[in-house]
Amino acid sequence: MYKTRDKIKWIWTNMEGFHAIYILGMIGTVIYNVLQLVVPFFSGKMIDMYLTGEDAVYNMEHHRNFFFILLGVMVGATFLRTIIVYVSCMAYEKGSQKVLYKVRSFLFEKILRQDMRFYSKYRTGDLMTRVTGDLDAVRHMIAWVIRAVIESFSLVMATAVYFFIMDWRVALAILSISPVIAIIIAQFKKHVAPRHKMLRERLAELNTDAQENIAGNRVVKAFAREEYEKEKFDKSSRAYAEQNEKTALTWLSYFPYVETLANMLPSILLLTGGIFMIAGTMTMGEYVAFSGLTWAISNPMRQVGNVMNEFQRFQAASDKVLEIYYSEATITDRPDAKDLTERFQGEIVFDHVSFAYPDEEAVAPVLRDISFTIKPGETLAIMGETGCGKTSLIQLIPRFYDPYEGRILIDGEDIKSFKLTDLRHQIGLATQDVLLYSDTIDGNIAYGDVDMPEKDVLKYAKYSAANGFIKAMPEGYDTIIGERGVGLSGGQKQRISLARALAIRPSILILDDTTSAVDLETEKQIQEGLANLDFPCTKIMIAQRISTTKNADHIMILKDGKILEMGNHEELIRQNGYYADLVRLQLGEEVLASMLAGKEGK
Amino acid sequence: MAKRNTFKEDEVLEEPFDIKHLLRASSYIKKYGKRMISALILSAIGGAVGLLGPMIIQKTLDEVIPAGDTSKLVIMILCLLGTVLVSILFTTFRERIMVRVSQRIIYDIRKDLFAHLQRLSFQYYDDRPQGKILVRVVNNVNSVADMLSNGLINIVLEGLNLIFIVVFMLLVDVKLSLVVLAMVPVLAVFMFWIKNKQRKAWQQVSNKNSNLNAYLQENIVGAKVTQMFAREEENAKIFSELSDSCHKSWMEAVKYSNLVWPGIDDISVVSRALLFFCGLFLFGQGNASIGVIVAISSYASRFWQPIMNLGNIFNTFINNIAYLERIFETMDEKVDVDNAEDATILPPIKGEVTFSHVDFSYEEGKPVLKDVSFTIKPGESVALVGPTGAGKSTIVNLISRFYDVQGGSVSIDGEDVSKVTLHSLRSQMGIMLQDSFIFSGTIEDNIRYGKLDATYEEIKKAASVVCADDFIEDLQAGYATEVKERGGTLSQGQKQLISFARTLLSDPRILILDEATSSIDVQTEKALQKGLDAMLHGRTSFIIAHRLSTIKNCDKIMYVADGGILESGSHEELMAKKGAYYSLYTAQSQQAS
Repeated sequence: MYKTRDKIKWIWTNMEGFHAIYILGMIGTVIYNVLQLVVPFFSGKMIDMYLTGEDAVYNMEHHRNFFFILLGVMVGATFLRTIIVYVSCMAYEKGSQKVLYKVRSFLFEKILRQDMRFYSKYRTGDLMTRVTGDLDAVRHMIAWVIRAVIESFSLVMATAVYFFIMDWRVALAILSISPVIAIIIAQFKKHVAPRHKMLRERLAELNTDAQENIAGNRVVKAFAREEYEKEKFDKSSRAYAEQNEKTALTWLSYFPYVETLANMLPSILLLTGGIFMIAGTMTMGEYVAFSGLTWAISNPMRQVGNVMNEFQRFQAASDKVLEIYYSEATITDRPDAKDLTERFQGEIVFDHVSFAYPDEEAVAPVLRDISFTIKPGETLAIMGETGCGKTSLIQLIPRFYDPYEGRILIDGEDIKSFKLTDLRHQIGLATQDVLLYSDTIDGNIAYGDVDMPEKDVLKYAKYSAANGFIKAMPEGYDTIIGERGVGLSGGQKQRISLARALAIRPSILILDDTTSAVDLETEKQIQEGLANLDFPCTKIMIAQRISTTKNADHIMILKDGKILEMGNHEELIRQNGYYADLVRLQLGEEVLASMLAGKEGK
Repeated sequence: MAKRNTFKEDEVLEEPFDIKHLLRASSYIKKYGKRMISALILSAIGGAVGLLGPMIIQKTLDEVIPAGDTSKLVIMILCLLGTVLVSILFTTFRERIMVRVSQRIIYDIRKDLFAHLQRLSFQYYDDRPQGKILVRVVNNVNSVADMLSNGLINIVLEGLNLIFIVVFMLLVDVKLSLVVLAMVPVLAVFMFWIKNKQRKAWQQVSNKNSNLNAYLQENIVGAKVTQMFAREEENAKIFSELSDSCHKSWMEAVKYSNLVWPGIDDISVVSRALLFFCGLFLFGQGNASIGVIVAISSYASRFWQPIMNLGNIFNTFINNIAYLERIFETMDEKVDVDNAEDATILPPIKGEVTFSHVDFSYEEGKPVLKDVSFTIKPGESVALVGPTGAGKSTIVNLISRFYDVQGGSVSIDGEDVSKVTLHSLRSQMGIMLQDSFIFSGTIEDNIRYGKLDATYEEIKKAASVVCADDFIEDLQAGYATEVKERGGTLSQGQKQLISFARTLLSDPRILILDEATSSIDVQTEKALQKGLDAMLHGRTSFIIAHRLSTIKNCDKIMYVADGGILESGSHEELMAKKGAYYSLYTAQSQQAS
């Protein structure tokens, strides 16, 4: 999907500020691997000079100091080597952690700024896998795979040079198997790449299934569906395990060949060395020097399959990470979007607006040709049947979606000409599906302004008739509520969400059936609170109850995405259409009649 | 109740490190004992055959080459290749076995963990962020796989290897062997010091990652709210801080982990220097023959190799134990609402529900229900009204035993709900919760959740009863329309209708509707009511609703306030009483007009 070269570049740019450390780590790797080749030389020399050599006894008596020097060099070089190993490992860790940190923060913000189309495409568990597990494979690449590559490379290079200097014929014979290994590894790569890709998918599915089960735990229990859920989860868990197995076994079907080739080195050496020794063109000492270092060629050869395996894992995982990294929201600031410094007056105009959910424009328009105007400070109530487009309509104002036709204007300007953040800062929206955070109640109300003083939090809670029940809780405003507000009743959650929306002092307040779960007494208090806000605002509210809507300046009845009726309470009663039916239904024929009579009497 | 956990706090793990975690993990391994042992034997044989290699080379160098016998040279090389092939064959077999075993082990652990999570009550899920539960099921389990399979085998192999070497070394020369072993106590002190540091550090890593996961999940789910409040920057800042703590804790942990290998290397070189020094210098040359010193020094280097390998295994153990602890902690989480030991199966419910002096609180000292008693006759419809937060939902939650009462009892048809199996109880109840959770999948599947073997016709019928059929048929693919996570673009009201159909399909003996229709418009609700009345006939039902018009016709209305039932009776009776219900009802009609 993305080119390897681009990926390396991507990693490199995200390591900014730590390039020097990382390169130092790489140089360290080269140095300690070369040192690793040198140290045995000293211990060999010591054994030769003082133990097995012909002059051992003589040397021991007359060159004692040199013995201690050799001993010191052996210990010292090892100490030096281990220090370099440690420092270089830490440099890799630092570099990889920096990339991890930077990319993770970037991804998070990217995800947060995405539009709703994105959220209908990616599921929570999938996104979480990308930010955690997949990204970790990227980290592993930087911290481990690259190190292993450099380690192998420097070992092979140093040893190869040494071998060629000693005897080019033997060196050539030993290195002749590397092309064969390269071919096998290339074949392995082709074979394993799709499996790693599949494995990442399986992991995402596993995460998604577990996530959904946890999120829906109440429904699972309500239907006593634990067994069913276990079976369902078992499927994805099994699929993941099987894919994991399959991927690992892929390497194992190549492993014997690579391993045999790598282990053939001593045999090749023995063969060529033997022949040359028999022919007299090679000494035993030279042979020992070769055989002492064959590991430096064979170990990297063994490692290469493993490295390729890890690299393919990185390839598969990084594709998934990059997909999010480079994803673009379709709803964004226009390049010429201007800063908004003042409060909106609050005039809202819908100008022939038609809307459908992404990719469904042709088949299923949700709103068709909606036009209306609300003046600053007015209240619009929207009513209509379930699924008629009420929520869709209000979601267009903060630009959660854009209409495919028509314009929406605030104070005479197309909302697309504002910056998204500026626009949304001015809109207070209390959604139907209340989503609270696992935080204190105080923190939830002050969500739009973290530095809000406590007395303000209290004020907004009072507007939304929430102060009473919050005060009654053992820890009051400091009570921690669970995710999605667990532990609170539906009505309580709605009131906190309302307070949260009010707390940003919006110039446009949108309430999406925010009082559906509160009792009437409380709703009355909320209505009063809303009527007496200490800041001006235009209000749009979706509601079912006549009691909530009848005092609105405009009442809109939506049906199948079109405006069926629009006017104020009296006007709509007189129209004797859908709204009048609602009154009849909710309050009875007599009340409707008296309403009609009352108005006519005036 | 423990304090609710959030992404801001680490989950404290009180238990000190205990070897019992490993013992417990061994119960997962036992199942594959035979395979593990055969893998072990294969490795041992492979290793032993591998050892023949150097001997063949030695013989060739000592005898064949000096003799100049080329044909014998070729034979020896073929022998050498033979050992290589056999050894690799065995290793490959071992690896194949272990790949399977390690995947089975994580599969088993995950299965048990998930099964236990299904048993845990609402309380458990209420008290911690979902992301923290998720990380245990997925990431933590993945982490321990290798440790429990290959890790264990390698410990045994390297351990055996070590013992052999020590024995051989001692056989050659005791004094020089002791010189080699002299550094072992130093190693032990080093490892002990590092173990303590490492364990804490890796626990921190696990905690910080868990916090990050919790915040991540919350933000993905709540992205819309964040955008609405234009809080992206603030949240990104919080996330960066969490991410930074992950980074710091990781660096702290690897600071120690990376010390292990170089540390052992240093100790080993000191040990070898000591050997040369003692062997050649201190003990004098007459004391030990050249051959002995050469032999011991070659054993000494072989002695440190398995120790280094063990050091690496030790490293993975220490950092994965932190995850293992989390997994077992979750598996040990007490199931507070569980089948009693002698739980019986609740026979088909007739529908009598009795509360007898029920006391209940979510938190100690804050009673929600106090001494609540009532009896509902089979087939009665009961409405619960009253202010928000009075305990209406709590009452219905107790009938399904989502929580256990602290005093008194709840019984159905005379059977205490705490004495029957949860499955027999809940599968006969239809509960529609306030939050109408929709699973991703087709609409048909979502409704079928109520009755897994339901036919398409049954599903369609249930949907028709709740007036959902029309809008579903209008969708692009009808019942086969895929809904996204949490219902995607369905409206709240539509989600409620689907979840309503799901409940009805389960053909419950007792139906509980908790604000089931709050987001449904009045017209639809009216139509729905008709179908529902037919369905409800003969079944006990509990309805919580704020729109009194919808509950006026219930057989019994209970006004819940102040932790008890304030008034109870039919609409007419309560109106005549002119109490709390009367004021509520008149307020509602007045307010409306």
